[in-house]
Amino acid sequence: MHVKNNRWGKGLLSAGVLLSMTLSGCSQNTGQIEAQTQEVSIPVILIVDSSTGIKNEEALIERFNEMYDGKWQADVQWIMETEEEYRQNLKRQNVTDTLPAIITDLRMLPAFYYMMIQDGRIEELSDEILKDEEWMDMIEPAVLEACSEDDGSIYLSPISTAAFSCSGVFWNEELFAQAGIEEFPDTWEEFWDCCQRLEECGITPLALHTEGTAWAPMLFATAEVASTEEGAEFMEQFYPETYQNDSGLRIARTLQRLFSYTTEDALYTDFDVSYENFFSGKAAMIPNGYWMMDQIPEEWQDKVRFSAFPENKLISSPETFGWAIISGYSEEVKEGAAALFKLRTQMNMEEKEALFAQDPKTMIPAQRDYIQVYKNGPQLVPNYQVKWNSILQEETLGEILPELAQGKMTPEEFTQKEDESIRKFLEEQ
Amino acid sequence: MRKRKRSGIRRRYLKYTAALLGLALILSILGVGAYVRERLTQATLDKYEFMTERMGIALENLFQKSDEAMEECILYDDVQESLKNQGLEAVNTIALSKYFAYIDLDHVADYCYIDNKGNVYSKSYSDVTSETIAQSGFEDYLGPEYSRTKWFWAKDTLFGTGDEALFIGRYVRSLDYAHEPGMLFFKMEDSFLDDITGMSQELVSEAVIGLVDGEGQLCLSWAPDGFQTGDEIGKMVASKIGGTQAAGMFLNGEKMQGGIVSAYLDENSGLTVFSFVPDSVLNKALVPVLLVPVVIYLFVIAIAVVLSIYFSRRFTKPIQVISDAMTGFDGNNFDRTIQLNTHTELDEIGQSYNAMLQNIRRLLEEIKAQEQELRHTELNMLISQINPHFLYNTLDTIYMLARINKEETTMRMIQALSKYLRLSLSKGSEIVTVEDELENVKSYMEIQQIRNQDLFEYSIDCQVDESSAYVLKLILQPLVENAVKYGFCDIFQGGIIKISVFEKDRDLYLRVYNNGMPMEMSVMEKINSMNTMSFSQLKECFPDKKNGYGVMNIMTRLRLKYGEGAGLFCEVYKDGTACTVKIPGGGQEDACEK
Repeated sequence: MHVKNNRWGKGLLSAGVLLSMTLSGCSQNTGQIEAQTQEVSIPVILIVDSSTGIKNEEALIERFNEMYDGKWQADVQWIMETEEEYRQNLKRQNVTDTLPAIITDLRMLPAFYYMMIQDGRIEELSDEILKDEEWMDMIEPAVLEACSEDDGSIYLSPISTAAFSCSGVFWNEELFAQAGIEEFPDTWEEFWDCCQRLEECGITPLALHTEGTAWAPMLFATAEVASTEEGAEFMEQFYPETYQNDSGLRIARTLQRLFSYTTEDALYTDFDVSYENFFSGKAAMIPNGYWMMDQIPEEWQDKVRFSAFPENKLISSPETFGWAIISGYSEEVKEGAAALFKLRTQMNMEEKEALFAQDPKTMIPAQRDYIQVYKNGPQLVPNYQVKWNSILQEETLGEILPELAQGKMTPEEFTQKEDESIRKFLEEQ
Repeated sequence: MRKRKRSGIRRRYLKYTAALLGLALILSILGVGAYVRERLTQATLDKYEFMTERMGIALENLFQKSDEAMEECILYDDVQESLKNQGLEAVNTIALSKYFAYIDLDHVADYCYIDNKGNVYSKSYSDVTSETIAQSGFEDYLGPEYSRTKWFWAKDTLFGTGDEALFIGRYVRSLDYAHEPGMLFFKMEDSFLDDITGMSQELVSEAVIGLVDGEGQLCLSWAPDGFQTGDEIGKMVASKIGGTQAAGMFLNGEKMQGGIVSAYLDENSGLTVFSFVPDSVLNKALVPVLLVPVVIYLFVIAIAVVLSIYFSRRFTKPIQVISDAMTGFDGNNFDRTIQLNTHTELDEIGQSYNAMLQNIRRLLEEIKAQEQELRHTELNMLISQINPHFLYNTLDTIYMLARINKEETTMRMIQALSKYLRLSLSKGSEIVTVEDELENVKSYMEIQQIRNQDLFEYSIDCQVDESSAYVLKLILQPLVENAVKYGFCDIFQGGIIKISVFEKDRDLYLRVYNNGMPMEMSVMEKINSMNTMSFSQLKECFPDKKNGYGVMNIMTRLRLKYGEGAGLFCEVYKDGTACTVKIPGGGQEDACEK
């Protein structure tokens, strides 16, 4: 009996072993969990220039992604649209809460900018910037001041040097030569004379437009008004209370006169049309900032020159480049966005130093002209975009400027309409 | 009892065979079952996980669609105008109220929009007011975010129906100004969510599926027909997955009571879509797969049992024959032998049995013969016990006559004979002292010396206490008789007989040596071999009864009296022959057969 039990015991043991082997054969290896550091993605929307196909800030993005590979990644959505369209999309993205972590051009929409501050939509950056000595060493005081609010808070990162924020006039040396003009006019009187001579030679003097805050004609007009002391003061005002004054009327008259020297398609079109007109040789002059240097087609680089507005004036508001960080994102994203801003500041500074140290002979003529103009101590006139109310810029100008240009509206009526925009704006404020 | 014995080996063989196959079947079923179950379950789970993920993606798409519709509303000119301080004109207010009914979003049961001045835009028959909206508490569902589309499952305290439904809400912000936001709410019909399940009809028909909100509250659930506990399962699953933060598929076939759960969280809507696949569905595919090997194994078992019976019969049949022969042996019929031809060890068992049977027969015959002889001996002894007195008296008379006639030789012979007979006959005991035995043999030798003048001389060397050592009587006389008869057959004088008694290794030895003609070697070997023979064989050794009777008599008596330890050994020398009797136990009086 004992033996029998042993046999059964052995049998059961064998069965157990076999069973366990059978079952173990069916078992699966548990996977190993690997710790992994998550790369933080920083959403950004940047523009692809519709004329040149150049991606804005592409070098910055590549350098940032390379420098912070594995930690941060600027996830850029490249969109082909005008700057004006970009700005309007900012508003849409804001109300739909779909803004990227980094936005640009915010300061060109003053009301929207202050609304973003008021609603807590953008980050206050003074702690980030002021406590970072390395960053501070790269920032020009004038730029920092322009980006700071009255209470010292900073919402726009001072990512640009003032040297690259100035706007003047790009002019076609070849067309000027055809009209027998060798130099850009020094005074406004000479400027109008220049326009007249060009026109008489069958050359359209100015590439202008009426949409998109009427950037090109407004640069001329606001630079012209600053030629007087009263006009210069007027341009310093934030949210002017009225345009029905001498300065306002002077700007209106200048605008009316400017449009008498422009192309036929200037009305109801945006800056891209002006750009095309200039770089197709249909117009001899177009006002814009330093940033257009990169957008000069290669075959045009030898014949495009740059000058200050007559009477040595440049339009400049460094804060217009101010980039901001959207508050709704995580701290990791916002930290990465700040690092991107700092890198942008560094690259801009490096670019300035490199440019100013560069042998002028290696530059294109327009760049050489720009440095010469910048070093020549020009009078800097604030950019109207950072000073004037958004209704005037985004709605009213587009409606009344064509009327004024066509003579359907007098300068007085023009300024009245401008003042109506002020009232509307104040109502909403 | 008899029947059980007959089928014992086969039954055990069958039992173990069946047990082995059964074990193989169980292990195979367990092994294959576990493997197949794992694979099938995984395949089934993959399918349901895929469908659950698809439902999750459908949920995301649905949310995306609602989000886009909301965005469209926010960017609508009249909506933006309504947020400005001036507000809308009356005509535009009516238009805006109707606008929401035509947005690109189906299954809207009701809606309302309240601008930042408290103006409510809703269906014409709706009685929703700004107070109703405030009291509904729906603003709390919009969360702290700036303007995000929110889905929430709530009791309808806004439109007054009181039923639970899915609501979609969002803050409506001004594009340009930092105004207070408006709020937009849509109440959705249950059919709005049909898109989620629409692409997975198979899932709906077999599994319980449902939606759980971020609070772990079961919003909706669908159960297959006849699945009465769908709602309960939904609540069970909801309690398990509620509050999770992991977006996407965060439960991939997790085991729960009665089934397996997969769940997909859409982080935008905060809703989780789950599927609960009951075990019955998982096992449905397993049953036919397992049925096949079970049927195969059962068939194999049946075949194995049949073959086992067949082969076991072949093996157990000769065993049965042996068993029958052994159990059927009645002690009389020795002809019932076993005839096997299996070419296995069983044949040897059968042959051994047959040999054993013959041995038993011979032993029985010997015993019978010995019993018969014993009876004759006993009879003769009775007869001989009557005659001694007459024989002694007659010898005394003869002695007296010889003395009267002064015949010395006759007198000496009669005296020796009388002494010899007295020891042989008068003392009934079979065991005598060595002293008596030596006296007896001396008498015999004296008689022989009278009969054969100068034939031999004798000497006796007793090294033991002859009065306390015992020996079977008349054990030496046949040896001396053989020495005279065979050893001195060719001489007429000079013979020597030496009798020695000694003890060695606690055994008593009695040795008779003669210097006559040596014993033939074959005879010596034969006599020595008799020590290991059975009684019947002993009798067979000298079948002619003329020679060897004395030796056989001594051998038989020794064996009968002392058992296997006793013996008679002959040694042949070039000048004579010695025969030695071995008495085990040193010649003790009580020495007997062991």
